[in-house]
Amino acid sequence: MFQNETRLYRGVHIKFEWALILAALLLCTVGLCMIYSATSPMGQAGKVLVIKQVTWCSLGLILMALFLLFDYNVLEKWAIWIYVLAIVALIAVWGLGKVTAGSKRWMEIGFMRFQPSEFAKLAVVIILAKYFHMRSRTGEDDLKHLVTTLGLAGLPAFLVALQPDLGTAGVIMLVASSMILFGGVGRKALMWLGGAIAVSVPILVLVGEHLLMDYQKKRLMTYLNPGYDPLGSGYHIIQSQIAIGSGGLLGKGFLEGTQNQLMFLPVKHTDFIFSILAEELGFVGCAAVLGLFAFLFLRGLDLAEKARDTFGVFLAFGCVTILFWHVVINVGMVMGMFPVVGVPLSFLSYGGSSLLASFLSIAIMVNVGMRRFSY
Amino acid sequence: MDEISDHEVARQHYQLRIRVAAVVMFLFLGGLAARLWHLQVLHGGSYEEMAQENRVRFLRLSPSRGRILDSQGHVLADNRAGFTFAVVPGELKEPRTLIEHFGTTLGMRPEEMMKLIEKSHSIPRFRTFPLKTNMSLEEVSLIKSDTKRVAGVSVEVKPVRVYPLGESLCHVLGTLGEVSAEDVARNASLGYRPGDLTGKTGIEKQYETYLKGVEGWERIEIDAKGRQLRVLEKQDPVMGADVVLTVDASLQRFVEDVFKDRAGSVVVVEPDTGRVLAMVSKPGFDLNLFSPSISRRDWKLLTEDPLHPLENRSIRGVYSPASAFKIVVATAALAEKLVTPDEKINCKGEMELGGQIFRCWNRHGHGKVDLRHAMIESCDIYFYELGLRLGAERIAHYSSLFGLGKPTGCGLPQELPGLIPTARWKQRNYGESWKDGETLLIAIGQGYLSSTPIQMAMMAAAIANNGKIMRPTIVQEIRTADGKTVFAHSPVVRWRLPLNDKSLTLLQDAMVGVVSDLRGTGKRCRIPGITVGGKTGTSQVVRLATRSEGDELVPYHERTHAIFVGYVKDMPKKIALAVVVEHGGQGGESAAPLARRIICGYYGVPDPDGAHE
Repeated sequence: MFQNETRLYRGVHIKFEWALILAALLLCTVGLCMIYSATSPMGQAGKVLVIKQVTWCSLGLILMALFLLFDYNVLEKWAIWIYVLAIVALIAVWGLGKVTAGSKRWMEIGFMRFQPSEFAKLAVVIILAKYFHMRSRTGEDDLKHLVTTLGLAGLPAFLVALQPDLGTAGVIMLVASSMILFGGVGRKALMWLGGAIAVSVPILVLVGEHLLMDYQKKRLMTYLNPGYDPLGSGYHIIQSQIAIGSGGLLGKGFLEGTQNQLMFLPVKHTDFIFSILAEELGFVGCAAVLGLFAFLFLRGLDLAEKARDTFGVFLAFGCVTILFWHVVINVGMVMGMFPVVGVPLSFLSYGGSSLLASFLSIAIMVNVGMRRFSY
Repeated sequence: MDEISDHEVARQHYQLRIRVAAVVMFLFLGGLAARLWHLQVLHGGSYEEMAQENRVRFLRLSPSRGRILDSQGHVLADNRAGFTFAVVPGELKEPRTLIEHFGTTLGMRPEEMMKLIEKSHSIPRFRTFPLKTNMSLEEVSLIKSDTKRVAGVSVEVKPVRVYPLGESLCHVLGTLGEVSAEDVARNASLGYRPGDLTGKTGIEKQYETYLKGVEGWERIEIDAKGRQLRVLEKQDPVMGADVVLTVDASLQRFVEDVFKDRAGSVVVVEPDTGRVLAMVSKPGFDLNLFSPSISRRDWKLLTEDPLHPLENRSIRGVYSPASAFKIVVATAALAEKLVTPDEKINCKGEMELGGQIFRCWNRHGHGKVDLRHAMIESCDIYFYELGLRLGAERIAHYSSLFGLGKPTGCGLPQELPGLIPTARWKQRNYGESWKDGETLLIAIGQGYLSSTPIQMAMMAAAIANNGKIMRPTIVQEIRTADGKTVFAHSPVVRWRLPLNDKSLTLLQDAMVGVVSDLRGTGKRCRIPGITVGGKTGTSQVVRLATRSEGDELVPYHERTHAIFVGYVKDMPKKIALAVVVEHGGQGGESAAPLARRIICGYYGVPDPDGAHE
């Protein structure tokens, strides 16, 4: 009932996905409320953050509207350049970046702080979609294709991991793997992959021992044993779980979360926003939010299925996986199911780059949905 | 056609995979939901209990404010520990019990406490809200043991200002007061919160950012009974930086003693560097009245006092410099070569201009006087003539060369500029044209002309250091608590007076004559063995007031201000000073002897005239 069909020009029907945009805006609103709650103990500084996030939200909507003016095939045309730009930005972050909490992720452009890694994810999806579209016509050797696709994703993931931002690097690899599996992998390639993993895991462990930053090791150790470091990261997982658990079925009420007000969680308006949600709105609130996400994913997949070409299919599918993995890793992380890797929750966490990237993902899905042949 | 077939292929090819992907996604989301159910619904109760046990307090650790020291290292403004009794609104369950327990020991009425407790709900729930501030250690020890029994109370330490010298140098040091709501909003980045103290006047205001320090904080975990379990996070406060003044407290106190029971100001400076050695403004007030906060009654007394004890007259008192201004007029005339040292002008006691009679203070007239004698005897007729030759504009120009008409920038806030009147100024402010008679009045330092005591002291200093105009300063150094110097004063020569050596020597000779000559108006400043240069001034308060012989007959507020500016330049330690005695009568009679006693005290020689004073 949200779908408006408009005959734009002969043969082409525009199907505008109001539902998708509405769901995203709903999530944004919930996010704003939770950011307000999470930052309320900070006083005036907290309100500034809320206003900033509203600004980012509006910017996201404008960007989305602008993008919808173009057919999504511009992305295919410009795929390589977008990819190159993303790589350059990731390298530039080394030179120009700002160090926050021990890692260089930010670039300052005028008044904005901008995180290239958030956009690298989209660039990877675009280049892979283009690659799969080309392959659907030529049909190349399985193994070569596996190496190419993994390489295309691996380069930016590696650069992001160097920042160091293991969470986002992991998301990039998960998104790429999802797309590769979706595209289909032959038996031979699968065996190669299995072998490679069997060999690389011990190497990775060795390398990790020497290359990982202390806090990263601590976070991994914490994952394996939360009681290991009660005042380090483990303390936060415990406090996060207490916050979530104590929310119960209906929650303690908006602005009433004691864990929140007592500031047990260090970055609660960004990575731990879900804990605040769970504490104050309870299981019902969380289920509603997860339901909204599930709706987003389903609609996205549906649009992917109906896309007019392979590029569209992979593009929409890739965007769905970006949001999907963010949700899974972030929510899993705050509930103590995954290590604390610092991945934001799309639409809800405070952060401009993440919000813009999420809006762009939705915009791409909507674009793929509205420019399909209708028959 | 090509595209359509592509679409067909895509559709069939990917339909199954999309379905699989959807199932996989649902499995993951289902896993998350199951975990949520597990945490929130199945074990919600036990987590709820754990959350109840979780009690954290966020305590502010106040930095101690930087001290203010004199040039010799004596502490002028220091800190002592003050205690604050506070409540934590999020923990306070029974306000009644709290009032019963602490009301009497705190000496607060129940309604008063209840009102504050209600007000405490305006802050974040687990922050502390002060009920009573500035308690002594004794008061705190009375209630300390009880704080464990009532949930939701906290005792914090906060430094409080003390001023060991009390009233001495009160205007320079300045006062602290509660930060205003606008300041809190304007300086959000500086971390002010309602109730914080901030400098309101003097050094405390001017160097607030240095003195303030940076607040620290501490998050401590406590149990349900309010016992501290452990410190979760801590940020130590950074102590404020010390401000070292150029003022010598012992000289300051000596000068204050000399000046006691009078209204007015004395400023003593070092001519070569511009360092202010003493800055006295009377009447004053006891700074300790303001710490930690001034009572309503005291505030009313101070603000309604007709003598305005809160004003720093040294930088905010504007007085006609009167005959002391003849230094500027003489300089101008010499620099413009409008008069030669030998030219004599005949003073008959009065002169006529535009149908109006202008008198010399000496009605019998001084006879024929040259520049030197005109200075020594302060002949008005001579300077009327110079004023006419110079014109108001040129007098104004030389006044600003002496630093008049603009704040000196000595390092204190709210300094007043004084006033150099010009034709343009008069047109703008009164809509009237300038009259020659006004030029005459300016030439003898009366009329609209006004200046502050520090400007007058710097005027004398300029002659003492051979024409260099220095920027005065009252701050020698600012150093952080760990001993790093963040500011150190070095003398700034603003410019030089356009006088040749001969003219300078003549002026200095004339000013020495004012004191040493038998007919000198400043002869009561004479000190055997020390060459003092100076100039007296008698500043009219009521225009056209006739100079009466017996000052006692004139009501206090109509009496003239007595002014003396002077310097000593032939000693190893030079000084220059300005003495302004409000309604003190004549400069030579009332201000010059005070200057003599100050100079004697400074050089440690006995006061030659001490017995008579």
